[in-house]
Amino acid sequence: MKNIIILLTGLLLVFSISCTEDYDEINDQPDALSVSDVSAKFFVTTLQQKLYRDNVFELWYGRILHSDMFAGHFSGGHSAYAWAGDFAWNYWNALTDGGSWGPYAAYNSTLTSYLNIVGEGGTLENEQYYALGLVMKSLYYHAFTDQFGAIPFSQASDPDIKLPVYDDQIDVYKGIIADLDKAISIIGSNTTTGEGVSLLGENDVIFNGNMQNWKKLANSLKLRIALRAHGSPGEDFSATVASEAIASGVLADTDALLEGYAEETDIWGGSTSYGDVWHTWPTARWKMAEPLVNVLKADNDPRLAIMSEPIKGGSVTVSIVPRDGETDALVQKHLTFLKSTLDDAGLVLDTDYTWTEKADELTITITEGTHYVGLPSRMNGKLQKYFNTDLFSDPAENLTQKVNQGKPVLPSVIMSAGDTHFMIAEAILRGLASGDAASYYQSGLRKAMAHWETISGVSLDESNMAALTGTTEEQLEKIATQRWIANYTNSLEAWAIVRDTGYPSSAVSTSSDDDIISLAGPLNGAYPNRLRYGSGVYNSNQANVEAAVAKQGPDVMATRLWFASE
Amino acid sequence: MLQHSLLNLVQCLLKQCLIKPIKFMKKYDAPDDFGTKNLIRIMRLSFTFYFISITHAISGYSQSELSIRLNNVELEQVIDEIMNQSEYDFFYSAELFEDVPKVTIDFKKVSLETLLKNILPNNFIFEIREKEVIIKKKPKTLSAVSNEEIETQQIRTISGTITDSEGNPLPGASIFEDGTSNGTVSDFDGKYAIELVNEDAVLKVSFIGFVTSELSVGSSDNMDFSLAVEDSFLNEIVVTALGISREKKSLGYSVTEVSGDNVNTIKDNNLASSLSGKVAGLQVNNSGSLGSGSVITIRGNNSITGNPQALIVVDGMPINASIPITSEGGQTNSGSNLGNNAPSFEPSISGGGISDINPDDVESITVLKGPSAAALYGSRAGNGVILITTKKGSRSDRLGVTIKSNIYLDNPMFLPDFQNQYGQGSSGSAYSDRVNDWGQFSWGASLDGSQQPYFDGSNKAYSAQPNNVENFFRSALRSITSLSIDKGSDAGSIRFSYTNNSSESIVENSDLNSHNFNLRGVANLSDKLTVDAKATYFTQDVKNRASTTGAQGLLTHLFNMPRNVDTEDLRTYQKPNPGSPADFAVIRYADEFVGNPYWMAHHDETRVRRNRFLGFTKINYKFTDWLSAFVRVGADITNVRDNKIYKPGRQNIPLGSLEISESSFGELNSEFLVTAKQDLTEKLNFVANVGGNLSKRTSEGMLVRGTDFKVPTKFFLNNIRNISATEESPLAIKKVSSLYGSINLAYDNFLYIDVASRNDWSSTLSKDNRSYMYNSASVAAVINQFIDPSQEFFNFIKVRASIAQVGNDTDPYQINQTFSVPGNGYLGLTTLGFPNVKLNDNLKAETVTSSEFGIELSMLNNKLTLDVSVYDMSTEDLIFDIPVPAATGFLFSRENIGKVSNKGVEIALGASLIKMNDFSWYTSLFYSKNENTVDELTEGLDSFVYNFSTDNNIFVKATKGGSIGDIYGKIVTGEVDATGAPLASASPTELLGNAQPDWLGGWSNTIRYKDFSMSFLIDARMGGQVYSQTSADLDRNGVSERSIQYRDGVTLTGINTGTAAANTESITGQEYWTAMSNISGNYIYDQDNIRLRELSIGYNVPNVSSIGLQSASIQLVGRNLFFLSKSADDIDPEAMLGTSIGVQGMSHNAMPTLRSLGLNLTLNF
Repeated sequence: MKNIIILLTGLLLVFSISCTEDYDEINDQPDALSVSDVSAKFFVTTLQQKLYRDNVFELWYGRILHSDMFAGHFSGGHSAYAWAGDFAWNYWNALTDGGSWGPYAAYNSTLTSYLNIVGEGGTLENEQYYALGLVMKSLYYHAFTDQFGAIPFSQASDPDIKLPVYDDQIDVYKGIIADLDKAISIIGSNTTTGEGVSLLGENDVIFNGNMQNWKKLANSLKLRIALRAHGSPGEDFSATVASEAIASGVLADTDALLEGYAEETDIWGGSTSYGDVWHTWPTARWKMAEPLVNVLKADNDPRLAIMSEPIKGGSVTVSIVPRDGETDALVQKHLTFLKSTLDDAGLVLDTDYTWTEKADELTITITEGTHYVGLPSRMNGKLQKYFNTDLFSDPAENLTQKVNQGKPVLPSVIMSAGDTHFMIAEAILRGLASGDAASYYQSGLRKAMAHWETISGVSLDESNMAALTGTTEEQLEKIATQRWIANYTNSLEAWAIVRDTGYPSSAVSTSSDDDIISLAGPLNGAYPNRLRYGSGVYNSNQANVEAAVAKQGPDVMATRLWFASE
Repeated sequence: MLQHSLLNLVQCLLKQCLIKPIKFMKKYDAPDDFGTKNLIRIMRLSFTFYFISITHAISGYSQSELSIRLNNVELEQVIDEIMNQSEYDFFYSAELFEDVPKVTIDFKKVSLETLLKNILPNNFIFEIREKEVIIKKKPKTLSAVSNEEIETQQIRTISGTITDSEGNPLPGASIFEDGTSNGTVSDFDGKYAIELVNEDAVLKVSFIGFVTSELSVGSSDNMDFSLAVEDSFLNEIVVTALGISREKKSLGYSVTEVSGDNVNTIKDNNLASSLSGKVAGLQVNNSGSLGSGSVITIRGNNSITGNPQALIVVDGMPINASIPITSEGGQTNSGSNLGNNAPSFEPSISGGGISDINPDDVESITVLKGPSAAALYGSRAGNGVILITTKKGSRSDRLGVTIKSNIYLDNPMFLPDFQNQYGQGSSGSAYSDRVNDWGQFSWGASLDGSQQPYFDGSNKAYSAQPNNVENFFRSALRSITSLSIDKGSDAGSIRFSYTNNSSESIVENSDLNSHNFNLRGVANLSDKLTVDAKATYFTQDVKNRASTTGAQGLLTHLFNMPRNVDTEDLRTYQKPNPGSPADFAVIRYADEFVGNPYWMAHHDETRVRRNRFLGFTKINYKFTDWLSAFVRVGADITNVRDNKIYKPGRQNIPLGSLEISESSFGELNSEFLVTAKQDLTEKLNFVANVGGNLSKRTSEGMLVRGTDFKVPTKFFLNNIRNISATEESPLAIKKVSSLYGSINLAYDNFLYIDVASRNDWSSTLSKDNRSYMYNSASVAAVINQFIDPSQEFFNFIKVRASIAQVGNDTDPYQINQTFSVPGNGYLGLTTLGFPNVKLNDNLKAETVTSSEFGIELSMLNNKLTLDVSVYDMSTEDLIFDIPVPAATGFLFSRENIGKVSNKGVEIALGASLIKMNDFSWYTSLFYSKNENTVDELTEGLDSFVYNFSTDNNIFVKATKGGSIGDIYGKIVTGEVDATGAPLASASPTELLGNAQPDWLGGWSNTIRYKDFSMSFLIDARMGGQVYSQTSADLDRNGVSERSIQYRDGVTLTGINTGTAAANTESITGQEYWTAMSNISGNYIYDQDNIRLRELSIGYNVPNVSSIGLQSASIQLVGRNLFFLSKSADDIDPEAMLGTSIGVQGMSHNAMPTLRSLGLNLTLNF
């Protein structure tokens, strides 16, 4: 008995002491890096890529189906799926949640992680990296607030606040300016982030570690924000901010671009391009929109041929027999609209195309591969069968480039030098800065053209560059229109320009005739002025989002944002 | 109330007012025959004898055969040997054999009864119960007793014989004169004689395992009684935690035992499904098709961490239920969208865990419902434990051979209701042009047979194909064949079994093949040393398990097929001899988002091969008659190889892709247990167990994924152009060491107290939090003798109460923050990502606290039994990834937060409706209700979203004050937009229901007539809601029967927000259903359903010995035969999107529930 007890006690003791010795060791993950293994530069690439090229759904749902369409750069599609006329215009939460709100709300975690790790007291503390992070933060919040209006900002970086309040857009703008000022002051005259392991170099896929360029980008963004805020209720900072930015130096010669990776294939979450969407989901394809094609065409702008493919053309026959519930009058109305679309694109009947109506079908014949025709926006789905795919222009191959063909993928535009020149011209016209607006306008055009020369390697005709003339309003319209063109493929900005300035007016697509332009959905024919908050926030941070809505206006796409208020 | 009476009882016990000896015992057991000590012993026996006269079946007769050869030994040694060879426990008073001479015996293959009859002196009687044998001296016969009271009366003596229904005498049966304390016991030949106290007496005859019989005394002095066998289960011996067998009546918590027959008669490919409806409080949810897994939830969701799965323990060894790594990562298991805004593609879960157990090897399954029952299993037992005991070889030295063959034919139980009036098209007309104007909708014109463009390029008659969905499925043949061989001897026993499962899916080109080899051996190496070892090898090959669930599964493309498409025409899913990339493209009825179901069946090649080894060795040593110990080492090792090929031309993946993953999991358990049994006093018995366990769980895996086949006709890794991901998950180890102990006290066979304690040390937690302890205590009291001593109504009453705690740790690598290296980088640069989850090195174990109270009753001569439990469980310090609004730099923060509670009641009612010689009908009812409440989350967070549907129309949430699985969505506002289309609430914030059912019920019946038997199970799931995204899709595409409505247009009533006046705008049916299908509130259905889950009709072929068989039986069986009632359209509300909490409550194109009809043949040689 005694022996047994001793044996037992011994067993238990041995058991309990011996067995936890290696526990710390086995709980140390072998396939992960700890802070001591890493340099901050590796995180910079992620920070940049995640904001501009992260996820196919952000590009597809968020930009192609929202801002690219709303800006009047792209339009519709040519399958039943992408053609539901109203599609993105009629709110569909899966698109907004998955493509816009979702990725933007989530990016905050990447950003905050970065700022925490390189910021004061962070494990990889470095002031210059931190300044770079502040610029990225500002780019991010600016794009975020311009889509939604009030967003979590002041409390969004506070780790102790689980349900942050939504700040008014004006406060977000002021906060961004403060962050940019801080970044500008930290960078000062520094050109690099440091030496050795701290040297950023090629891991900065925007500026290759050139901190002075980051400072210029910060100034350019300040200028952009000042112009956007100018004249909005309660705004009292645009003059100071704009003149400070110009004085400190904007991106005058260098475009801020994020290169694309021609071999990228991991469309689900690695990095992505328009070509991924174009070739992976052929039915999701889209057309050049009527406003962009017609504006370029009217100016005889050489960029048209770089941005757009000519239409396929040839002979197209469509049935014009009324369908169930349709009248002959409606068919005629639709045909008239089709014809006016061709005419508006500058095509001349019987010269550029023929139009032959028989009892039950219409035949259109157009010269093949010559003309450029943009597709009108937000058309009623009933028009689909008349608006044959062969009659409208695809985006050029430089945009729809299939990956793995050894050809570069179009870079993401963050801030183009052309735009900064236009912005200075605008600031001068608005009395926020002094100088010769016309010459900045001219230099802006040259830079904007050069952007395409650099990218596409083509020589552009600068002969018909317009002069900045006319009334101040007309001049502002010209500048706005050029900025809108310069921000092709950067449609979050292009759409904001349309909302802020109202130019080009052809892009402000509204409707009161459901036969042509779909009225479906809550937007009810109005121009989309913002996107609706993600469905999830009503389930996770309901009180704060409702407070924001109460102040800002209903959470619908028609609600005008602060910067675009009349 | 009951608690109060329990208290009284305890007080009573303390005052030693216990046990007023029953009069007749006093009367017939003369004190000079027994010492005081013996008297108490006998009295206790008599208790058992009279008031717990219930057993499962009278199995003592001829069940197991014994062979014993011993020379000149004490009878006790013979009994020890019997105990070694059998599962019987013997009860007798210590001095019973004192004066019995030694015996020499040599028996071969005799029944226990024969053996005992031969070895016991003839003044002894014995009684064989299911697992107990009671031996005592024959009470003195009537003639030997004198009693003044009796003497003074006119004595009339009734005598007769008591037999069972087959005429075998029943010795030791009790004969009572009703309403008096007068009674006697039958002798060895079943004969009795009783002198009556009253003239018109009623005699009540009872015997353990038989239904008590009552007869009024008539004129005759001879009254024979034939007793019918009682089916009941109150005196069951059940397997409890750590594999310890206990008498069920002594347990202070709720356990349910399901016999092997109950799960292997009507086989499902997954053993879990066979438990459905058979245990109160147990819920089984299935997902997906052939070879997929299921989740077993006991007493609701205790945890909000997404794993409500009960722990599965096979022969004492916890088995692994990990999920292999695949491209979907965690999404494979959950179907979750969280943390990733991309819609989750291809969510399908694989089997594993319980589905690898061969039902034919199952001896019994014990369900330990709450932490009280399961506390000794530690960390993983918070969700309850399913204990599976597998078969051992019989002790008979005759070679036993059993062949079982089960053949089933599976067909879809039901399909959605489709419309057959309108064809492919839009806006009320057929699509006119396959390039510009073509889609998948069935919003076309009336199917009038006219020639219209068809997807294959031809023009074809525009007519309905009413069975086009049904035609896609085939009748699938499943064949499960098993062979078992067993043999035993004095030295031990051995059992070998082999099972082959060859199952087809109802989707062609998909099947499952598995082989299960099982070897079990028990060796009695000496009187003291026993070795028990088992090895199971399982290999399964699942070919092309159709990816059915969700937006991209096969069924999406099948269900939404236009109504005029002939399924056969889709068989041409690719051009023959494709050359150019365009030739490879899948041919389907509509655009690039649509797939061809035949392509997916034949060209999506998936293959999951799983090899699993399960085994253990247990060495049992009996130090003395009161102290024994065992050491057990067991292993569960699984390897899974998963290949997935999407051939070039497939929808969404035009270049094709390949994914290969290999995962392995291991679980090694070493444990010991020392058991001491002592009688502290005559009344107080004591059993103590002390044990320890070392558990080592490992996992590792590799995955490689690529796209774009260089040569598009062969599909292997080297033929891949772009390797897009290679991932390695190096060996991850988790160790948990535990020490535990329990003490069971039994006082006078009526009061039982258990206390248990366990301490775990987990490697997944930091040093400070590594060690955690939890305790449990329970009490059970058998109190019928105080309430109804003469068993007028109650035959058995037990009240029980328990309280317990269980701690729950986490997975490896959850406390130290690290960075992972993304496979690809960007522009060739090394990039590092930030983890989404903020880890927490202060993480501590979760705590589940439960209390339970229950009562078990048997009444009306044991014809009716009732078992009721009420429980209250709460889980605190839940380890959970709280979605943080990115503010912390993370998407989630892992913390110990909140409190979730489950309260519920479980009722099991059993009734012997008919009990005749040839005919019996036993019925039982189960009911369980559970209420789940999220009591607390964390400060500043009142709710969070688990998941949202792929259409973002449904959010599954946990909200403080609400329940886990609350479903939120949109509803129609009553207003319409400018075009006249219905408008929905702005955001999905309307509470539409909850994914957890309110109550579950089961009604099972067993009817026997001679050699025929029939059983059926009807089960019900009531309350709880489910979102049928399936129905929404069907409506959106215009293929559902519902979508016939409004084809001619409708003007909805309500305010038109365009005009701010009453609506006058008409919309088409297409516009109406397009709008409605996006409003999730329209597709919330109650989960209510009642179905005939199982039916079997069996026949035991008699007189088969002439053809060399021991026995033979044949059964016709059916599963999921029909619904008696179902609320949901289109879907089976039990077929959810996945198995985690986050996707409960959502159903999206799940594989149709299968109706199985089958034939079982069992031959025993």
